[in-house]
Amino acid sequence: MMTSAISAMQAGMGAAATATPVQPLNLYHGIDGVTGRPATAFEELFFRSGGATDAAQAVDGLYMLIFWYSAAFFVLLMFLMVYWVIKYRRRPGVPAPVSPSHNTLLEIVWTVVPSSALLVIFFLGFWNYIDRQVAHGDAYELAIKAKKWSWTPVYHNGASTQWFLPTDETVDPVTGDVTKTIVDSPVIVVPEDSNIRLTMSSTDVIHSFWIPDLRIKGDVFPNRYTGYTFRTPKLEPGQPYQDHWVFCAEYCGDQHGAMAAVLRVMPSADFDQTVSGWSGALTGDKVAQVQGCFTCHSVDGTNMAGPTWLGLYGSSGTFDNAPPIDFKDENYIRESILNPNAKLVSGRAGMTSYDGLLSEAELDALVFYIRGLSDAGQKVNEELEAGGDGGEASDAETGDGESDEASGTEAAGDDAPSDAGDGESDEPADENG
Amino acid sequence: MSTIDRSTDLLMDGHGGGHHDEPYLSSKGSWLANVLNWAVTVDHKKIGVMYLFAVLFMFFLGGVAALALRLELLEPPRVIEGADGARRIVGQLFGADPEDVAAGNNIYNRLFSLHGIIMTFMFIVPSIPASLGNFFLPLMLGAKDVAFPRLNLLSWYIYVFGSIFGVLAIIMGGVDTGWTFYTPYSTTTDADHMRVFLIVFAAFILGFSSILTGLNFIVTVHKLRAPGMGWFDMPLFIWALYATSIIQVLATPVIGIAMMLLMLERVLHIGIFDPGMGGDPLLFQHFFWFYSHPVVYVMILPGMGIISELLAVHARKHIFGYRAIAFSSIGIAGVSFIVWGHHMFTALGELAAMLFSAMTFLVAIPTAIKVFNWIATLYKGSIVVNTPMLYALAFLFLFSIGGLTGLPLGALATDLHLHDSYFVVAHFHYVMMGGTVIAFIGGIHHWWPKMFGRMYNEKAGILGCVIVFVGFNITFFTQFILGTQGMPRRYADYVDEFQTMHVISTVGSWLIGLGFLIHLVNFIHSLLLGPKAPPNPWGGLTLEWEAESPPLEHNFHSEPLVKHGPYDFEKVVPPHCSEEDFPLPRAHGAPDPKSLTSFNG
Repeated sequence: MMTSAISAMQAGMGAAATATPVQPLNLYHGIDGVTGRPATAFEELFFRSGGATDAAQAVDGLYMLIFWYSAAFFVLLMFLMVYWVIKYRRRPGVPAPVSPSHNTLLEIVWTVVPSSALLVIFFLGFWNYIDRQVAHGDAYELAIKAKKWSWTPVYHNGASTQWFLPTDETVDPVTGDVTKTIVDSPVIVVPEDSNIRLTMSSTDVIHSFWIPDLRIKGDVFPNRYTGYTFRTPKLEPGQPYQDHWVFCAEYCGDQHGAMAAVLRVMPSADFDQTVSGWSGALTGDKVAQVQGCFTCHSVDGTNMAGPTWLGLYGSSGTFDNAPPIDFKDENYIRESILNPNAKLVSGRAGMTSYDGLLSEAELDALVFYIRGLSDAGQKVNEELEAGGDGGEASDAETGDGESDEASGTEAAGDDAPSDAGDGESDEPADENG
Repeated sequence: MSTIDRSTDLLMDGHGGGHHDEPYLSSKGSWLANVLNWAVTVDHKKIGVMYLFAVLFMFFLGGVAALALRLELLEPPRVIEGADGARRIVGQLFGADPEDVAAGNNIYNRLFSLHGIIMTFMFIVPSIPASLGNFFLPLMLGAKDVAFPRLNLLSWYIYVFGSIFGVLAIIMGGVDTGWTFYTPYSTTTDADHMRVFLIVFAAFILGFSSILTGLNFIVTVHKLRAPGMGWFDMPLFIWALYATSIIQVLATPVIGIAMMLLMLERVLHIGIFDPGMGGDPLLFQHFFWFYSHPVVYVMILPGMGIISELLAVHARKHIFGYRAIAFSSIGIAGVSFIVWGHHMFTALGELAAMLFSAMTFLVAIPTAIKVFNWIATLYKGSIVVNTPMLYALAFLFLFSIGGLTGLPLGALATDLHLHDSYFVVAHFHYVMMGGTVIAFIGGIHHWWPKMFGRMYNEKAGILGCVIVFVGFNITFFTQFILGTQGMPRRYADYVDEFQTMHVISTVGSWLIGLGFLIHLVNFIHSLLLGPKAPPNPWGGLTLEWEAESPPLEHNFHSEPLVKHGPYDFEKVVPPHCSEEDFPLPRAHGAPDPKSLTSFNG
């Protein structure tokens, strides 16, 4: 399943520290009629598959109501237009019959009737909207951090995304459709059939969290919390999990089109087990995935918005605003993460700072991971190993080294979740200040 | 002031003679003398013609960008290995490394921004008012010029100046802000370049051109109507331009201020919108849409005005519900100022969202009334299906779809899904292009003989219209479905399930291009070889058809006296026309007097 260059590299680096590997994409294809109302033919034309929840289906219903109302009006108007154009076409020398240019009763009727219909549509739209704005007391609180260009969920125990769907092809078992996933879409897991309340904030520009299958979206701002509540779908009997696309709907720059995530609905027990299994596990490539580094940096030499990490450590570089250096070391990498514009690589647009977004342990893991991606860095690792210093070694063994390191950080912060949680709440407060 | 103007006019009429009796297009001697004459002219017709060619050039630029970005969307280029085909072509056009995904996305973002900025600020806002409006507003009022001819020339030069700034920013590499300039993206992107500043400055400058034109038109309508022309004897195109001008004068200063604040933040780092500097990004959206929603009606109202003229003249029928159409223009202009929040439903609180949703439905009512009146105008008409009429019918079809698809966007629950999706893209293209552009092209055909004194080829015009209509629906109807299925707008990249619709849409865009190409060739052919146009080829009753084709330098031989309404086709044989060609109903029996009493609505 992990066939892309990035995934292969991660596998090689021993990223498989996660207990459960991510299962392939299983996109929602509508409901089968056992658990809810299946989509009508017209709904399928417009929505591909009916809304995944009752609330979403109510939106579909309202949309179809407006559609049929509009279609009726439109067909009537166009019929009259075409019919009259044909019937009253100009014949040479024949004058137009005299006809009234004004009819008060008719004009009142065609003002009042559509106006009342509009009133009904307004009320239905408002009713359904306000219904979905109400926060339910039992809702599961899920924090969403948006950044150019990644979505990062933070669960109740401080754990973050551990699953990413790599660039890959998935064959749908039912329809046979081949689906390619967007580069490293994070998987946001949620329990089935429960209320979820999103608390969202952005660290840079405005984003918008859209779950098309649930027919809802909300803007994410850099200076405040926004959010909405939604109910997750019920799984079909026997269905292990169900995936829904999440798209960024507010334009946010180069990789706006790749800023997708997968909302994975799981049975509640699986959800609890999965999320509790994630607390604390920390490796450099995971940190990079969680922070969305791979949307701009490759690890296989591909040129993306940011410099590739392959061979970065130990290489030389020239900068727009600093003297050149001939060996990029750990301190350079650290500085580039925390204060990216101090040395702006020639020809690059620069990056926003990750200062305050990473704990020391995460930063270490990330720096060591990037170091391991170059020959020079691997030599350092080998020397370290030869010197009996422990830590990382050759490619094949790096995994062990990194999991050692990971367990080290785990030990250092068994209560890492709460740390992370504090970090999360501190950071927006800073921004507000 | 008008008194003074009129007395001067009369004096000049008294003198007659001179070059004022020549067609405005006639040569002034040497090539240089002609250029100079046009460059410093205060003749509203010449300014209108210069505007016409300028906005059509901008339409061409924006259209090329649209074709290029549709080409880019032929296939999803998400996978790096797949960065070939259409994307490679577009990339190479703009000199990017085809393997570089980020660079490809960046080109796409610059293309859609360029398309949006050119089409809104440099094409569609000035399009109808500044070109056809400038040319025909004084003619239809029976005036010699607008109230402030020199101010008119000034607004033309401000437009040129602003457009040069905009084009300069594009030549320097373009911007990737989108035409909406949402902060904090627009204040932080391309921080090392002046391009965003330049293009925002261009929008700022262009605003003044818009304000001055609006001011000029308002005064002209109030003061320079020909003797005998009351408010309800004005053609509906004038009513529409009047409503448009009110919006231009009242709303444009707000975008000027917003653009100014944006420039201050970008250049001087004054924290107004950027939360990093203590600002509020949502504030910008309020400022922006407080102008940009009313300006949607600056774009569409003149189009509606044109449609009223085209339908009445080519159906040879008194417009149905004259007063209803006139008042609905003013009503739309008024309500347009209190609905801006519907662009921000996903960002607003519940109370604001509810109020803006309710206001939004209000604006649908006058719009619906107009459509009903237009359709009713066809009833018992004498309808000729030529290019202008076909465009008017295409307008009714496309604009109705555009208007009706506004309903699910105005309803809160459905908007939460459709907001910022391709549904919105399709909706506003149906209104802006299917409405304004279609009306504009129809209007150009309608008034072409009057403006240039030559006829165009009718068959080629009809062919172009049909191709544009078909291509338009293929391009944009698919985008409604893309939107409901979950395709967000402004994506350089998309998941595979959307590809089929994107391919259909792109093929449609080629058809639109082909249709406009046919029109272009037709117009050039007409200018060079077209047969001479009679003064009133369609049998119109509004005053511009009393003038020569092309009109004289001072428009009319003598100041016209208005003795009939603009749409009294049942009563009056059109000027320069014979009753043989344009028979009155009377010839076949006396008219029912009751049906004529209320000819003005």
